Amino acid sequence: MRKWLMLCALLSIIILAAACAAPADSGSDTASSSDTAAADGETSEGAVLRLGINAADLSSLDPHFASGTQDRTVVSMVFNGLVRYSPGDAPNIEPDLATAIPEPEATDDGKQVWTFELRQGVMCHAGPETEAYELTADDVVYSLQKSANPDRSAFAGEYDGMTVEKVDDYTVSITMDTPLSPVLFLPKIADYAGGFIVCSQAIEAVGDEAFKTHPVGTGPFMFESYTPQDRVVLTANPDYFRGAPKLAGVEGRYMPDISSRELGLRAGELDVIHGLDEAQWVDAISGEEGLAVDVFGVGEVATIYFNIDAEPFDKPEVRKAIAYALNRDAFLALFGPGIADNVYSPVPAQFMDGGLTKDDVDALDLEYAYDPEMARELLAEAGLADGFSFPVVSSEMNAYRKVYEAMQAQLAEVGIDMQVDVVDHSSMHSLIRDDANPVVVYVAFRPNADVYLTRFFHSDSIVVTGAKPDTNFSHYAAIDDLIDSARAETDEAAQIELWKEAQVQILEDMVAYPLMYQNQIYARSDKVDYGHPLNAIMNLNPQITEMTTIGQ
Amino acid sequence: MLRYIVRRLIFAVPTLLAVLTLVFLIVRVLPGDPAQAALGDYASEEAVTALRAKMGLDKSLAAQYMDFLVGLVRGDLGSSLITGKSVAEQIFFVLPYTLQLTAASVLVGIIFGVPLGIATALRRNSALDYFGRIFSLAGLSVPAFYLGILLLLVFSVRLNWFPVVGAGTRGDLGSILHHLVLPALTLGLIMTAYVVRMTRSAMLNILSEDYVRTARAKGLGERTVMVRHALRSAMIPIVSIVGIFAISLIGSSVMTEIVFSRPGLGKLMVGAMKQRDYTMLQSIMVIYALLIVFINLFVDLLYGLADPRVRFN
Amino acid sequence: MTTATLDANAQALQTISQRERMWRTFTQNKAAVVGLILVIIVALIALFAPVLAPHDPLRQDTFNRLAPPSSDYPLGQDDYGRDILSRTIYAARISLMVGILSVLAGGTIGTVIGIFAGYRGGATETFLMRVVDVLLAFPDLITGLLVLAVLGGGLFKMIIAIAIVISPRFARIAHGPTLALRERDHVLAARSIGVKEGRMLFRHILPNMLGELLVMASLWTASAIRIEANLSFIGLGVSPPTPTWGQMIRDGTVHLTTTPWFSIVPGIAVFVTVLAFNLLGDGLRDVLDPKLQN
Repeated sequence: MRKWLMLCALLSIIILAAACAAPADSGSDTASSSDTAAADGETSEGAVLRLGINAADLSSLDPHFASGTQDRTVVSMVFNGLVRYSPGDAPNIEPDLATAIPEPEATDDGKQVWTFELRQGVMCHAGPETEAYELTADDVVYSLQKSANPDRSAFAGEYDGMTVEKVDDYTVSITMDTPLSPVLFLPKIADYAGGFIVCSQAIEAVGDEAFKTHPVGTGPFMFESYTPQDRVVLTANPDYFRGAPKLAGVEGRYMPDISSRELGLRAGELDVIHGLDEAQWVDAISGEEGLAVDVFGVGEVATIYFNIDAEPFDKPEVRKAIAYALNRDAFLALFGPGIADNVYSPVPAQFMDGGLTKDDVDALDLEYAYDPEMARELLAEAGLADGFSFPVVSSEMNAYRKVYEAMQAQLAEVGIDMQVDVVDHSSMHSLIRDDANPVVVYVAFRPNADVYLTRFFHSDSIVVTGAKPDTNFSHYAAIDDLIDSARAETDEAAQIELWKEAQVQILEDMVAYPLMYQNQIYARSDKVDYGHPLNAIMNLNPQITEMTTIGQ
Repeated sequence: MLRYIVRRLIFAVPTLLAVLTLVFLIVRVLPGDPAQAALGDYASEEAVTALRAKMGLDKSLAAQYMDFLVGLVRGDLGSSLITGKSVAEQIFFVLPYTLQLTAASVLVGIIFGVPLGIATALRRNSALDYFGRIFSLAGLSVPAFYLGILLLLVFSVRLNWFPVVGAGTRGDLGSILHHLVLPALTLGLIMTAYVVRMTRSAMLNILSEDYVRTARAKGLGERTVMVRHALRSAMIPIVSIVGIFAISLIGSSVMTEIVFSRPGLGKLMVGAMKQRDYTMLQSIMVIYALLIVFINLFVDLLYGLADPRVRFN
Repeated sequence: MTTATLDANAQALQTISQRERMWRTFTQNKAAVVGLILVIIVALIALFAPVLAPHDPLRQDTFNRLAPPSSDYPLGQDDYGRDILSRTIYAARISLMVGILSVLAGGTIGTVIGIFAGYRGGATETFLMRVVDVLLAFPDLITGLLVLAVLGGGLFKMIIAIAIVISPRFARIAHGPTLALRERDHVLAARSIGVKEGRMLFRHILPNMLGELLVMASLWTASAIRIEANLSFIGLGVSPPTPTWGQMIRDGTVHLTTTPWFSIVPGIAVFVTVLAFNLLGDGLRDVLDPKLQN
């Protein structure tokens, strides 16, 4: 008996000792204050917004490496671009750190120059090693050069052929070797991916690695602390150039499980959460007293790519048969009304120029509307009347698994046996880039038609064998000239026409079947007012700006 | 005894070496690319290639292995491929959370499990016995993530007794313990199921042993028989199962960590696995294997304390 | 009649009476009988799934996803609009297979290693138990994840993964008592009169821990079913569209607040199966434990 008691006592001591062992961390002294402030500070002034982020941890808060939504969410509050997507209303662009959006000038040697005037008095946050200081052209030049450097940025490829120069402290000129239309140029310097402007002195002082967990920018909120797997804390930047934020700060909690985020919101411990992309869930939460759900764009597009070098998908009839065998509405029903919607071309017409609408494809008879009879006929034509089977791997993530599993059942109806092997997400990304799947489902958002077409359909991007292997899973090489000439076209109307032409070709050859897009779902306490409409947001999350409030 | 401990620890070295060699090889056999995982699918190809080189993944396997071993000998666990943060720092950051949860769950398991197990053994085939057994089986059939969410739904959302989010404010003991209750109950109740069954089974075994029967025959009081003999002998299999369970808990608590949004070793490990953070995964396994060696040693020593027939030689 | 045949007859008689006694012990234990009946019922459900299931478990009807129970779908429809009742019935096949095969494989290998190591002692013991420690060093989920990631997903790979998880635990459980048994009087006595090693292990050591092992096995059958659910929670399970209880519970948990029946139904199925195996395990233990026989 005594021994049992000793054992219990020993365990209790371990618990207490472990509970008291507060590891040293930069934010340990301040993290507690925001917790209590949020709990009882329900007034609009000085409230801390508590955000349930759908991730186990952050990956990188260096904006030039931030690629997951969980990181983009935080980065967008800390940094600015030269221009920005209007809050909640992409792809409209307005000035941010620049005072205006300039007209490009053509030079005699066929290049293009964009000259930006910078706002004066924009202050960089104080960093761990640096005082707050005024942002100048030096920072902008430094930052864009960093974005172009493959060692220091994940988005370097976007900045090829760009030269950035300081004209004076408040003027920067950007020279493009090949002229670009505004719709292709401006996203490169907008508040997204490589376009975020970092504070050069701060990053030089701490180094690139440390910057990943202590970002320093000019945005409405300043980084305060980060507790691994737990939270990131931001405080209001009182010197923000658009005015001090109405919130006292933002506390992002890393919560990878949807049920716990939902329960946290219901219990009043969170103000905003990343929700579940299903209509039933949206209805249930909207029906709760004091809660609201926002459904908004931009939508990530799910497209099905056929490897035209793999049998039997080398036969156009087989690809078309699969297209006719798939029922877009049945896929939409997996998510429910309003959550997902149809797309008719790989570039989503709902969110950017260059996509095809239902009317467009109807006119050309390229909708490939559900028609299992047609599918069977085409299979018979291809000599596969008895069907066939093929293996694919799917990611364990719902966005993929659901599509593959629904597709499996629909293909079974016309006698095609698709064997789905579920692997972890990272494995899937490697395997499909290694041609493991003759049919690839890929869910992605890209900022414009050129990026979609180049990375998914240009021969350079062919997986394994391309010059710059990327995500051309179809091994498609028939529209390189259209993609290239569209990119070089500076007349916007002509450019859009070329993009549409490219997509008509894709659909005629049926190398990719555009399935649907999925909207973003965020739930919130109805006291939260983001301060901007929620139509389409590049970062895939509601932006929290200086205008955001938590009301009574 | 001391010699025994020292010898065990020396024998542990090859075990550790085997573990880390195995992990080193397995993580590299897996499909998946840490550079791609770190940069996301929108990253440009140049950046992925550059990062791969920076991570040292273009070196030969043997060279990478040597780097790893040399680092270990120097006591350097390396830095995460993904965040660049020191691995040791991250592990020691989450370790207290894991220990709290493990110890608290074991405590719950013993407090509920042992008395219930003894009671069911003594009143075999009574209503209490059936209740105890069915209760413990319910604990066995429910996955931790399900139980955790149920507990949250009832005790946090409906009754508002305990918080949902996180592991509490660091440095504030009250807050930490408050946040610990539900996750510890989740794992503890599952553990209780195991302990009840092992205790019951062990007690039944011992109650039929000659010396217990002799003790009874000698006219010793039931209480004395229980405490002196039965309970002490029952400790062996129970402690053994507790030890094994504590080991699985450290790794398997990941579900509980996810549901309760707590930092922890399990989550760190699964995260490293998902992102193919080779250095992180390797180093966690080294630490983990060390923990196992100590827990196993502890269990074997308890065997010795409980059963004098086992000799350390 | 020679003495030899007489002996054989006596032995046969003895065996019969022993079996009878065991059967009587077993049938006297009501809980065990209930367990046996439940196991048989679950096995029959698995066997006759195609006859029992009212719908095709794979047929999707996404337009009616998460529909509540109705006359046509007594337990409602899942997140693909499939019949939850039919899927629960079919899943019995997979879950039984996972539970039984993985424990059988893992338990046998583990027990043999544990007993052999404990009995032999010396360098053999040190070596084998270190190997076991290495395997134990990998937590369930990580082992599962690693094995599945290396082999790829699927039912049999899942069984292999779970068997690998289970075996070192059996080895440790079998090893401890063997240490103690090694020094017991009856084993020492048997050894001193020159009983062969294999015979020793099977006649004198194994029966003494068979009860313990059976209880472990019945526990781990339950755990195997739970590990399957946990792996599914992480996202790596049996390949779709094959239904498993674990996968159903995982998918249903997401909808716990809106459509609770989705996860409760397979949950109850797991509970009943686990209950059945454990009651049966307990009953067997009482029958086989030599000490409880008199």
